[in-house]
Amino acid sequence: MSYEEFLTRFREKILSYRQNGNRLYFEIRKDDIREIARFLFAELGCRLSTSTATEVYDGFEVQHHFSDDREGRYFSPLVRLCREEPEMDSIAPVTKAAAWIEREIHDLFGIVFQGHPDLQPLLKEDNEGVVGYPLRHERKE
Amino acid sequence: MGWYNRVLTKSLWVFHVSASPCNNCDIEILDLLTPAYDVERFGIRLVGSIRHADLLLVTGVVGRKISTRVLRLYHQAPKPILVVAVGTCPAGGSTFKESYTRAGPLDKVLPVDIFIPGCPPKPEAIIAGIIKLAERLT
Amino acid sequence: MSGQGSYNLPVGPFHPLLEEAEFFKLRVEGETVVGIEFETGWMHRGIERICEQKTFDQVLFTVERICGICSTSHPFACVNALEDIEKIEIPPRARYIRTLIGELERIHSHLLWLGLAGHFIGYDTLWMWAWKYREPVLELMELISGNRNHYAMMRVGGVRRDVPAEVLPVIREKLSPVQKKVEMIAAAAADDPVLKSRLQGVGVLSREAAVDYGAVGPTARASGVDIDVRRDEPTAAYGEVEFKVIVRENGDVYDKLVVRVLEILESIKIVEQVTEKLKTTPGPYYYDIKEIPPGEGIGRYEAPRGEVFHHIRTDGSNRPVRHKIRAPSYVNIPTYAASCLNLPLADVLITTAAVDPCYCCTERSLVIVDGHDRRLSVDLLALSREKTERLKKDSDKEGVLW
Repeated sequence: MSYEEFLTRFREKILSYRQNGNRLYFEIRKDDIREIARFLFAELGCRLSTSTATEVYDGFEVQHHFSDDREGRYFSPLVRLCREEPEMDSIAPVTKAAAWIEREIHDLFGIVFQGHPDLQPLLKEDNEGVVGYPLRHERKE
Repeated sequence: MGWYNRVLTKSLWVFHVSASPCNNCDIEILDLLTPAYDVERFGIRLVGSIRHADLLLVTGVVGRKISTRVLRLYHQAPKPILVVAVGTCPAGGSTFKESYTRAGPLDKVLPVDIFIPGCPPKPEAIIAGIIKLAERLT
Repeated sequence: MSGQGSYNLPVGPFHPLLEEAEFFKLRVEGETVVGIEFETGWMHRGIERICEQKTFDQVLFTVERICGICSTSHPFACVNALEDIEKIEIPPRARYIRTLIGELERIHSHLLWLGLAGHFIGYDTLWMWAWKYREPVLELMELISGNRNHYAMMRVGGVRRDVPAEVLPVIREKLSPVQKKVEMIAAAAADDPVLKSRLQGVGVLSREAAVDYGAVGPTARASGVDIDVRRDEPTAAYGEVEFKVIVRENGDVYDKLVVRVLEILESIKIVEQVTEKLKTTPGPYYYDIKEIPPGEGIGRYEAPRGEVFHHIRTDGSNRPVRHKIRAPSYVNIPTYAASCLNLPLADVLITTAAVDPCYCCTERSLVIVDGHDRRLSVDLLALSREKTERLKKDSDKEGVLW
């Protein structure tokens, strides 16, 4: 399936997109993430490489990166979250690779992934060095 | 203690601790056992338990979580024990100086006898450092 | 979750010579593993935060020191990410030099793993041989870059140093004994009955589990998943050299060993091809890139352990907005949950080692927790070596690797 076919198929769900050669970065609503992830993993046979969480001035952005190994290209759906309630659906039920990846994002940013089987701290247990959410740009009192 | 030190330095038993390293110094330390450097000809042996050790070899940035365990190991060690910090990380932090999980240079946690800087220090440098320490004792 | 008579064991060191970093919780019934949990945090150095504070030129030195063994993999993926933002081209000579460094590192890393695996199952001769033949490779790296590890060869737009013409014949000369020895080890491993009975069928990771966990590298290739970043998305000179991607079907520890040993031979082939090309490719070894444009880029590289992934977002200044790093062991280590189940204790060490975990790249910590909160100290290394001794006694054949 080419990038154009993918964009056509999910026309209503994709809010904006940018293609850079063999990279497709597109934005979707947070309610649609599980459906898109399931399509990419189960139907297109993509592999979840990792997910990036970034803090932006009005909230957070979580971007999953799915690798289409046969074609050597990436699909990167992005979800925007607001600062007061950073919650979204977990994609761990779709692929187990997401389990640790989402736990780490939760540890470092405080984003809650609903439906995650085990959102325990991955890095913070007993670790006095990791206080609060270290990758947030909050001013420390 | 003169005779004790002379005997000690003929056969140093070394226990190796990695406190959040990048593993490069650890690999160079393991390299000392292999045929190219063969540190056992100096009587230096790596041991599996702190209670048999004469010398504590520490690598790594010394994260806060692991610094308590390193301190515990130091207390479990039979005294006198020598502490050697291998690499630039326990000395000054190298590129991880600004890390939020760093407990500080190693001598904030333990008394250190000798620092062997390098990133990683060559095996020859590690041997030279340990021998220099041994000479200082005798 | 633990039933009657099940115990959790505190696993001692992953490596007997490392400090006792408890890092997994194994639930055991009798001698069989029935569950596994992880505790991490020991290695966490806050690298992503540090990377946000460095300029693009400085970050390559930090990123290099994430891992000492796959030292050039992280800078390689990082420059790939920065060059991906606007598809910056690099000169041909730089492409070949990057490939040369990457493959030399793969050779030394797989030899390192081979040695450790040999040590864990009691084949100390194999350990000494593998590490002895690592030395010529490290000497080559020192000749080319000035340091045995942490070569600092990558830069945006090319490489930092050129490889002078006098060094090229030395490469062939130093690698030739390595090649002979690895071929001998491959033949001996294929022939050794004790090695096979020790490793075949042990720690099997099924293809479905490998895909579900997103496993990468030799861990995935040994389970039948045909992925290799060098072939799927060729950067540097990988599109111009010929090499085979080694894939095996069974997913056990023996297959992982075969994949790695054969990959060493493939890497030597790549190094030879690249060295030939370097002899006839003049030109600059970098383009001076003055600015990184705003945008985002994804860079990957096939490290010895699998796919290293860097994602960088920029805003036109000389520091990144966000620099996300994902090392291969991060996705490979959770596969223990699938491959360590129903395993006898004596095989746990070699199964966890077979994934070639680079803890510094990940964040290791494994604690074995007891069902009754009893901390039993078990020397997994001794158990593993004892099992090999038993198998050796039962077999009549003399092995050359013992």
